[in-house]
This record gives sequence, C-alpha cells and structure tokens, in this order.
Amino acid sequence: MGMCWCKNKNEDTETYIPQTSTNISNTDPVYFANTQYTFVEYLVLETLGVIATLVDNEQEPPHSMLTLHDVADNEEGWIQVVNAMINVIPLEEPLGPSVITLLLDDCPLPSKESVVKVVEMLNLSKEAALHGRSNPPRQRNICVVLGCIAEKLAGPRNMDILNNGIIDYLLTNLSQDTDPNVILFSLIALEKFAQTSRNKMVILIKLKSLEVCPITSLEKWKDETHYVKRQVGFCAQWILDNLFIMENRQYSYQTIKMDHINAMLNTSDVSEYLKISPDGLEARCDAYSFESVRCTAQADSGVWYYEVCIITPGVMQIGWATKNSNFLNHEGYGIGDDRYSLAYDGCRRLIWYNAKSDSQELPRWQAGDMLGCLLDLDNQKIVFSVNGYSLPPCMHVFTMAKSGFFAAASFMSFQQCRFNFGAEPFKYPPKMNYSTFNDCADLKSEDKVVLPRHIFLNQLREQNIGEDSCTLCYDQKASIRLIPCEHSGFCASCASQLLECPMCRAPFQLVVEDNSPSPTS
Amino acid sequence: MAALPRRIIKETQRLMQEPVPGISAVPDDSNARYFHVIVTGPEDSPFEGGLFKLELFLPEDYPMSAPKVRFITKIYHPNIDRLGRICLDILKDKWSPALQIRTVLLSIQALLSAPNPDDPLANDVAELWKVNESEAIRNAKEWTRRYAMDN
Repeated sequence: MGMCWCKNKNEDTETYIPQTSTNISNTDPVYFANTQYTFVEYLVLETLGVIATLVDNEQEPPHSMLTLHDVADNEEGWIQVVNAMINVIPLEEPLGPSVITLLLDDCPLPSKESVVKVVEMLNLSKEAALHGRSNPPRQRNICVVLGCIAEKLAGPRNMDILNNGIIDYLLTNLSQDTDPNVILFSLIALEKFAQTSRNKMVILIKLKSLEVCPITSLEKWKDETHYVKRQVGFCAQWILDNLFIMENRQYSYQTIKMDHINAMLNTSDVSEYLKISPDGLEARCDAYSFESVRCTAQADSGVWYYEVCIITPGVMQIGWATKNSNFLNHEGYGIGDDRYSLAYDGCRRLIWYNAKSDSQELPRWQAGDMLGCLLDLDNQKIVFSVNGYSLPPCMHVFTMAKSGFFAAASFMSFQQCRFNFGAEPFKYPPKMNYSTFNDCADLKSEDKVVLPRHIFLNQLREQNIGEDSCTLCYDQKASIRLIPCEHSGFCASCASQLLECPMCRAPFQLVVEDNSPSPTS
Repeated sequence: MAALPRRIIKETQRLMQEPVPGISAVPDDSNARYFHVIVTGPEDSPFEGGLFKLELFLPEDYPMSAPKVRFITKIYHPNIDRLGRICLDILKDKWSPALQIRTVLLSIQALLSAPNPDDPLANDVAELWKVNESEAIRNAKEWTRRYAMDN
C-alpha cells in the first residue's frame, strides 16, 4: 500500500486543527533535547524514521507529521519545515525524497509569498550549483523541494517562481561531475517545471542555446550498473522522448530493437504517471501517487517465473495480479492491496495481499538485488525470492482466482526496477520446470511500441466519436432506456452499473432496448 | 496509459472547442486524466479579481465516480479547507455519471458566489461566516488579494 493519508480521511468530518502548543519562535530556532537539531528538524527526522513502519492507510499519520502540519500552517512555519527538510534528510535514506513529497503534499497550502521567500532564501544560480558540490545531500534535497513546488504550483503561478537563477542552477547541476543524486533530482525538477508550456519553452530555449545538450550526454547512462547513474540515464531518455524534443534526435521507439521481445509491460494497462522504457521492460514513478502496471501476457496454468532487478531500494510492491485488480493510484492502493493480487515489498519487507501485510525475515532490499517471482498454478502457490533466497510460499490469492495472472507491480515516488520476462537468461532460475512469458507469448510489432505520451495522446484526441454513442462512456452504442423515467442514451454495460437514473436520479425498475415500446404503453 | 475511455476524450474535445466562461481547464500534456484548472473569482463575490488554481483528476472508474478536485491556491471559504479540499455534494454522494467536468467546475464557481456556512468543511471560517459575515467577507477579500492576485 502506498502512503497517502489526507485523501483517505473522511472529508466531511475533517476540520481545522486548532493551533496547539507548537508555537515555534520565528527567529530563534529551538534546539531540541540538547542535540544539534532544531525542533522542526527533529520532527522531520522522526517522520523519516517511522514512515517505513506504517503499513495501513487507515492508520493515523505519525504524531511528528501531524505536528509538522500544524507548524506549516503559517508562512514562517511552512518555510521552517522546508528548510528543515533541506538541512537534515540524508542522501542514503531510500525514502528521503518520498518523505519530502509526502510532507509537502499533506501540509497546508503555501501562499505564493512563502514560496517566493523560500526561493529567494535559497538564492540559486550557477555559482550556487558549483559551490554546492561539496554538500550533495543539501543540493539533492533542494532539487526535490523545487520539484514539489513546481508540481504544487503547476499553472500560471510557477512561471513567477521559475527565474533564470533556478534554471541556471538546475542546468549546471546536470554536469557529469556533479553527484549523480543531485543530477537525478535536477532532471526531475526540470521535468516538473516544464508541466506548464511557457516554462517548458523557456527551459527548451536555454537548453538549445548550450553548446552540448547536457541531457543528451546523460542519456548514455541508461545501461549503467551504477544504479543512481542508471536512474539519471532513464530519466534523461524519458525527458528527451517526452518533454524536450531535440530536432536532431530520433525518438527511442524508432531506433530500439524489439525482435527478441515477446512480452513487456502493457502500455495500455498502466496508471497514468508511470514511465516505461522504450523496450517496455523498465519502469519508474516520479509522481507522488502509487503507480501500477501489468505485463502484456497472461498465465492460466502451469508454472511461471520472472525476475526483477531492483534499481531503487524504496517501496515497490511486485508480484502477480489478475485483471480484476484495480489501480487506485491516488488512494495509494496497488498490487497486493486487493483480493486479486499478491506482492512483495522488499523495502518494508512485507508480503501484501488484500491491503494486509505479513512481515518477512529477509534483509531490506538494495539496488542491484534480484527479486524472483514464481507462480505455480498447479499447486496454487506463489514463491518470492531475493537473490535466490526463497520466502515461504503464499496461497491466499487463489481463493479468488485460479487463472488469468499477469506479472504486475506498484511504485512509490522515485522508484524504478527492470523486468526480465525471459528475453535474457535468469540469474536465479527455479529448480523446477517453468515457462516464461517471453517464450510463450507473442506481440504484434505495432504492440511493441512504447509511444511518447504526447504522440499517444494526440492520436487519441483526434479520434472521431459517433453521436449515437452511449452518453456516459462513449465507448459503445446507446441502446438502453430506463423505465419508468424514460431517459435513454445509455449502453447496457453502463446501465448495469447504475443505481438510479443519471438524468433525474429517479430509481428505475427496468431497462429496455431503446426501440421497444414501454411496458405500460 | 490505462485504456482511456472515449468519454474522457469527448469531454476534453468539447472543453477545448467550447470553453466555459471564467474557467480554463487544460488537460496535462502527458496525462489525459489530469486537468490544470483556473477559476476566475465571480463578480460581486469576495473572490472577485482573484484567479484560483485547482487540480482535477478523473479517477479510474470515472464517470461512475466523481472527479477529484482541489484548490491549489489558498482561499478563505467555509466549504474549502486549508488543504484545498472542497465540500460539495455533487463531488460526493450526489455525483451522477451524467454530470461532467464542465458542470463540476460551474458548480465550484457557483460555490464561490454562494458560500454555505451551514455545511462547512472549514469550521472556524464557517463559524465566523455565521456570527460575523462582514468580517468573514473582509477576510475572504484579503486572502483573495494576497494569494490569488498577481501583483
């Protein structure tokens, strides 16, 4: 399960939390318990410490987090929280960047002035980037915060925020002698600022004015075995394919060789923010929602195996799901969070089924670890393994489904992994007979294309939609009329999901084919 | 991208062709279910002159369930809380799949013209709105000036 408290609370009963005893002095930081940290910094570290132990969306957020929300309710407080995050979140903590996004997303809305103040205080520029090289954790955190600010203020407001200093700072960070963690989050911040078309243009013009486009050079890192550099390469390639289009560069989908690939991540069966590599085998999430995907091929009987190379050591839930499993990315529900899927999360070391978790006795996973996912439909068990060490078999999911399983995974923010459905030799093959999707499945060449988003959306938006379509889904022809209210224009599939007439809210007793006479007439 | 219902494509096409006065709703370049929304504060309301940024998501089961909308610009309003969440019946139990993005945004604009302190989300704002309406309106104007206007 992903993490997302505010959206799950009952909004009707939600009220302002009255100002409690957390009146932090604005000018004089209160140092906490004789440590080197201020009170707010201490709260940030405490939140970071407990966040991996939280497994339930219904659970109250940790006390430290609620206190931070109260602190952030006024301008000075919000700035203090941002500063504290920049100062104290360490580089190596796998959930660090996620905690920054989570805290900022759940905090009261900042005013534009607070945001401008933070930006002025950071005083970013080319020089700041060069000086900052001696302190990568701070620069990394600044970039994460900039990304959040860009996302929160998407739209006309973030034009005022994105000044030349910030662009210079972020572009200077892209130089290859910067710490790769800083490069990575500079790229992500640029991507988030480019959500508004004007910012995108400004950044693009600046990029094109440089002698060598730094993002193009970074794209070469996409196959690195240094896993942070590899993430940089992935994001650079994604940005060049989707956002900053350079005239002399061919799209990756036009150059990639796909002959040996017969199964991949399904680009039509994925929640909207997940990024998928041009070969369809690597995926990454940079949104704050819990993004999910299934593969293209389906297992109905026998024994199946695939492997996943863990590229980021944070929260991912990887395993098996049927088509009945829903991707509720904004609510934080993914693979393993319903009765039709089962997943392992090696960061929190939990097996997930039906949004309930079982803790496991393996060390926390690391970048480069290999997760094995074995599905034995003959004996109705799923066995996960990490670097060849198996976890106890899981059976729960088979009470709901005995066939129709897909490889599937969910990703928290800033997480990435690479799937091997059998196109390459496995590192830890099972000792029994098994099938692989790549051997048994088949894909038409047009289905092997991972199109850049803007091209895909343009194709969709140009579709012609018939005027006789169902007025609710527009996918099928309207054929149904509701009795007794006589409202029509629906298809059978939509009508079957209705509890009352969508037009007049009257309960209905009967649905009839639109051309048939009413029973009463 | 999850198979996009043609309903979403259709609504997007209409929103582009026939925009709603006072409201801009632009689909995200890379996400067909996410809209960048700007609502102009209605005339003769304390929000007049303000430009309010909102985000609107269409959940997976849209239109069978309601869009998720929240304010990104701070606003002083009894039915909108400090996280920007909106208390509006059609976004909850009164949702109908015959409603659209367009109708939802019009309702939100109407909510700005006619705050309803008897069905509050922001309790302290609603309280003031009931006991001292003129002061509440002053606050709302002040917040509009501070947070929703370009100066």
